Amino acid sequence: MEQKPISLESEAGFRVLFECATISILVINEQGSIELANPCAEALFAYQPAELIGQPMEVLLPENLRSRHVQHRRGYFAKPKTRPMGLGMELYARKKNGEVFPVAISLGHYQLDGEVLAVAFVTDITDHINAKKLLAEREAWFRNMADNSPVMIWVSGLDKNCTYFNNTWLNYTGRRIEEELGTGWATGILPEDLEQCMLTYNNAFDTQQSFVMEYRLLRHDGQYRWILNVGKPTYIDDAFTGFIGSCSDVHDQRMMKEELERQVHARTTELHRALDREKEMNELKSRFVSMASHEFRTPLSIVLSSTSLIEQYIMPQHDERIQKHLTRIKSSVSNLTNILNDFLSLDKLEQGNVALEHDTFGIHEFMNGIVEDAQGTRKNGQQVLMEHKGYTDVTIDQKKLRYIMVNLISNSMKYSPEESVISVTSVVTGEDLTIAVADHGIGIPEEEQKYLYNKFFRARNTGNIQGTGLGLTIVKRYVELMGGDVSCISKQGEGTTFTIKIPNATHP
Amino acid sequence: MKTVLIIEDNLDIRENTGEILELTGFRVLSSEDGRHGITLAVDEKPDVILCDIMMPGIDGYQVFKELKANQATSSIPFIYVTASGERNEIKQAMEMGAYGYIRKPFDVDELVRLISTCVEEG
Repeated sequence: MEQKPISLESEAGFRVLFECATISILVINEQGSIELANPCAEALFAYQPAELIGQPMEVLLPENLRSRHVQHRRGYFAKPKTRPMGLGMELYARKKNGEVFPVAISLGHYQLDGEVLAVAFVTDITDHINAKKLLAEREAWFRNMADNSPVMIWVSGLDKNCTYFNNTWLNYTGRRIEEELGTGWATGILPEDLEQCMLTYNNAFDTQQSFVMEYRLLRHDGQYRWILNVGKPTYIDDAFTGFIGSCSDVHDQRMMKEELERQVHARTTELHRALDREKEMNELKSRFVSMASHEFRTPLSIVLSSTSLIEQYIMPQHDERIQKHLTRIKSSVSNLTNILNDFLSLDKLEQGNVALEHDTFGIHEFMNGIVEDAQGTRKNGQQVLMEHKGYTDVTIDQKKLRYIMVNLISNSMKYSPEESVISVTSVVTGEDLTIAVADHGIGIPEEEQKYLYNKFFRARNTGNIQGTGLGLTIVKRYVELMGGDVSCISKQGEGTTFTIKIPNATHP
Repeated sequence: MKTVLIIEDNLDIRENTGEILELTGFRVLSSEDGRHGITLAVDEKPDVILCDIMMPGIDGYQVFKELKANQATSSIPFIYVTASGERNEIKQAMEMGAYGYIRKPFDVDELVRLISTCVEEG
């Protein structure tokens, strides 16, 4: 169906437009009185229906603007034309209750019965003004924040050109914003780093991916310093708009890191060298120990056998002095041999060359044998009291246990006075063998007990009592090798008790 | 009188050991190297052999191996004298049938006891 153009000539048509418009419409005569106000205008200015008719239009203006407005109005009627009112100016209107609010107005005019009438279309722009103000506040806030940020901030648009740098950036480079905008910022990059930097930047733009890069940038004082630049793509309503990024000066950190790395490298090299030296020394020591152990034994054998021969040829029992010295030679050779054996044992332990050899044996015979072996150290009147509980057989590395026990009992004898008693208590169960050796000797100073098992350690109260400080070291290593442990309770001047506990291998 | 053969490269030890054993009442034969020792053992058939392990030329283990392989000497008790005492090697030799071993420096009484026991058993 063909539509007929609506005829605006009919009054009914105009009335509908006038009554139903959502814009306020006011008709003013040349005297400045309100001839007509549509319902929207009445609602906007908060007047009753028809209340505005006949009132001077200036009632709708804030008081301070009224007198000036009369001039404007007369000027308009002298030369009426259709235009927006107060171009570029903020316009304000007044409600009946005195409330002032911002408005936008456009003006028109027509003639009726020879009289010129002006028509004002008024829109309340309070919301619009508020929104603009808020936006301006926000922008100022963000700008302020950006300018006072400790990091340098930049923004670039779709064309990769930079559109913003904060004050922090400008202070850092010491350049004006005009010099930095666009691609100006790149002139500060160290030429050597430029290519890589632009490659990263362009690539990030083309793929819309975040980037992190480090390069050297010229600071205001002429120094190129390492900068960490982190860029992120920005979007408005899912549409890519460019990048925003922040930079910080990481020069000192980087220098420190490089210095640290240099130091770590140097230390590591040094350490490796020391380790190699240590290894070499160890091998040398090991070779020396095994050589010494071998080469010393031959002359020792000669000393010992020659001494025995002298003993037989001169019948020294007739001369106590000769006997005394022969005994001294023999016991010195024996001492030296023990030291050699200790060195060799320890070296083997340290090289990890010691294996366990389990055998089953009677504990009574074994213990008696030990006391006999330790006889050489026994002092006048020293008594060894033995007590045993539990099984009579035990399965353990006998040679190592012998070393351990001879050592512990000889120690007790060495560090105890004449006529004293040494108690050896052994217990064999299916699980383990526990032996305690208790003496009433000089004891071990409490503060030195923690060093007891250290190589070559000798307590300060051992005085001129002979010893190498290796025995207990080997004892502890042997006990641990056998899966057991050794403990010591001692009080200086009262005595010492060593206790070893070793798993019995009878029931593996 | 029982005969002991001493195979030992060190002159002093060889002489001292021989002297001690002679004083105890043994007849002593001695050799300063393994090869000559083996010849002596074959020729003289001693009652016991005392042999050093580490020697120039053939070592104690080799001497033992050859004597063991020779029917004329295979039953003669053999005692090692060791200065280093590498346990594993000695153990191996013992398992091959040596009578015993003694470590340097040895106690004279211990040596005499070991050899006397060995000869009595033989």
